[in-house]
Amino acid sequence: MNCKELAYMLADYCNGSMDPRLREELDTHLVRCEPCMAFTKTFQATCEETWKLREAIEYAIPAEVRERLDLFVRAAALKYPDKMREYRNQIERDRREKVADLVGAAAAGKLSSAAALLVESHCAACPECREYFDALRKTGALQPGDPPAVFRSHMIALMQALPPGEEFFLA
Amino acid sequence: MSAERWKEDEALLESLRKGAPGAVDELLRLYQGKIFNLAMSILKNESDAEEAAQDVFMTVIRKVETFQGNSAFYSWIYRICVNTCLMRLRGKRRNETVSIEEFMPVFTDEGMHASPMDDWSKEVERDALNEELGWMIRKFTEELSEKYRVVFVLSDVEGLSNEETARILGLTVPAIKSRLHRARLYLREQLSRYLREGKAE
Repeated sequence: MNCKELAYMLADYCNGSMDPRLREELDTHLVRCEPCMAFTKTFQATCEETWKLREAIEYAIPAEVRERLDLFVRAAALKYPDKMREYRNQIERDRREKVADLVGAAAAGKLSSAAALLVESHCAACPECREYFDALRKTGALQPGDPPAVFRSHMIALMQALPPGEEFFLA
Repeated sequence: MSAERWKEDEALLESLRKGAPGAVDELLRLYQGKIFNLAMSILKNESDAEEAAQDVFMTVIRKVETFQGNSAFYSWIYRICVNTCLMRLRGKRRNETVSIEEFMPVFTDEGMHASPMDDWSKEVERDALNEELGWMIRKFTEELSEKYRVVFVLSDVEGLSNEETARILGLTVPAIKSRLHRARLYLREQLSRYLREGKAE
């Protein structure tokens, strides 16, 4: 082994992936060759200094660049692809239907016991939802149009709290 | 690549494909900093890097449905980023770069070191030098041609394996190893000269 060969094999030597026999040969050369020892040590030091940089520069992004990029990508994502919007609309439709079903079941006295319990305890703490159910009970009929947004989001949360597979209405 | 990162990527890919709400936010949260930095290290200019990052995210969002799961999601994104940046560089006047050959070690015909070697490895352990060295390494890296710079950044700065870097750049592992080694030899020589000059002053 000469100095030139050694210099071009240093990567595997420094990261420890070198075959042990070859490593021994390198070590033998190193103890006898001062320039190679200096070269190896400074090569190793160079690598270590570089790796130190990782923590320092990793993922530093100026705040205003981050903000602009956020805005741009979010705005563009609404356009591409249209599927995304379709998907959101679908979710929204599903939610409206589900809430309507829940209200219907409540009006008909057909809530499952778990759902009834959830609704009752929620209404004890939430004046908006209590008001809606009170009106429902008083008139005995569904209000025309969609229930208020707050009510809807609360009811969705309630239904999501049910164990998976459990329906909120009685069969 | 940790198992946790892998899982995060899988979940992100799934929700992007579905167009789930919040998917884009998650994409930005996980990759904005990484993509911007990668673009920065290739393009070396903040506004170029910002525009490149915009292009990268648009490409990801548009093409996510056609992404084949046979490579990792992050390597797909990095690849888009590298390609986007290289395309931008091609459209521009070449940046000033140094010739790496001038910084390769010189050997005699017998394969011995042709010039004396300084061992400065103990000197750089001094904390006082830390910041200065970091700054110099960045400067020297920026002077490398992109052929070496991209490999160096992905491997030594991003910490990706040779295999991962090879996949991202569409090169063989031996090609990556050779470029990376030359980039490190270059950096070693640059640091040697820098520290020697500092002493002479």
